[in-house]
Amino acid sequence: MNLLELGLYFALLSLLSVGGLPSVMPEMQRFVVELKGWLTPADFMQAFAVGQAAPGPNVLITSLIGWKVAGLPGAFVALGAMCLPAAVLAWWVADLWDRFKDSPWRRAVQRAIAPVVIGMILSGGVVLATPGAPDWRLWLIAGLAAGGMLVTKLNPLWLLSAGGVLGALLL
Amino acid sequence: MTDPMSGAAPVAPPKSLRELFSGFFWIGARSFGGVMPWAYRTMVEERRWLSEADFTEIIGLCQFLPGPNIGNASVVLGKRWFGLPGAIVAFLGLMALPFVWVLALFMVYNDLSSYETLREIVIGVGAAGAGLFIGTAIKLARPLAKKPVALALIAACFLFVAVARFSLVIVLPVGIAIALFAALRDWL
Repeated sequence: MNLLELGLYFALLSLLSVGGLPSVMPEMQRFVVELKGWLTPADFMQAFAVGQAAPGPNVLITSLIGWKVAGLPGAFVALGAMCLPAAVLAWWVADLWDRFKDSPWRRAVQRAIAPVVIGMILSGGVVLATPGAPDWRLWLIAGLAAGGMLVTKLNPLWLLSAGGVLGALLL
Repeated sequence: MTDPMSGAAPVAPPKSLRELFSGFFWIGARSFGGVMPWAYRTMVEERRWLSEADFTEIIGLCQFLPGPNIGNASVVLGKRWFGLPGAIVAFLGLMALPFVWVLALFMVYNDLSSYETLREIVIGVGAAGAGLFIGTAIKLARPLAKKPVALALIAACFLFVAVARFSLVIVLPVGIAIALFAALRDWL
């Protein structure tokens, strides 16, 4: 039954994931770890870390969460549920979007979404950097990665690698 | 035939589903450290399926829509060129190899996770990944720095989601409704 519940909830999140996966990460953590207790906070963070380090769209992190909850079927169900409803919506909206190119509503919606999405992504970062009790070492690594991203043009893989090295040294 | 102005080949859509699949497959296969730069390189620079302006327009739409941006882009472009089969083929091409990759990596990690050092490295990577989210949020917020209503909305979303741990199912619709009200009054 976990599989069904996981699929249905991720399908709902799919439709709410304005701004992509980062926007729904805090909610996924809340649901899977805090509400359902399917994963420990550390498990969740490790799935996130492996998903970030691997090549490919970051939505694949959901397949690792699904895997942890219900094995290989969980991986397929979680990824499919996260992608399919949004894909169907994209299919229908693509034409409408062109038609409303010059509508003031379209511009208002675009401007309205930005601050909400930014708030969600920021929340995702802070929630993920705080699995369990607050730990200054994780916050330090997160802060350095954020700073590195803002002041350099390094491929994010270098920043993730540096985080790994700091993890081995500090933790 | 090349464009005399830029020296680039003219823009033409993929000729077959096979070509569509291979293009998206290569985007997925190479996308270490983020998919978007590789999507740009493959579709705009190498294969010339899209002009730069087309690409920006599609990405703008997909950032506005819920769902993984690049996944949506594969559906929208596949549909534009080949209808439903195109949408399915492009999406599967994009996801196929990274899906196998990430599961394989996770399996290896699970086998080895009893090594304390490896666990520490992975948690460090996770913290850095969380930092990239924070960096992304700051980057996106910069153009809004002089708009107090926008900053207040960002802060409110953060407080409700990260601190009070309200469900996104509530915060997102309410947040967007308030933001839309503000946007229509030109406060954003």
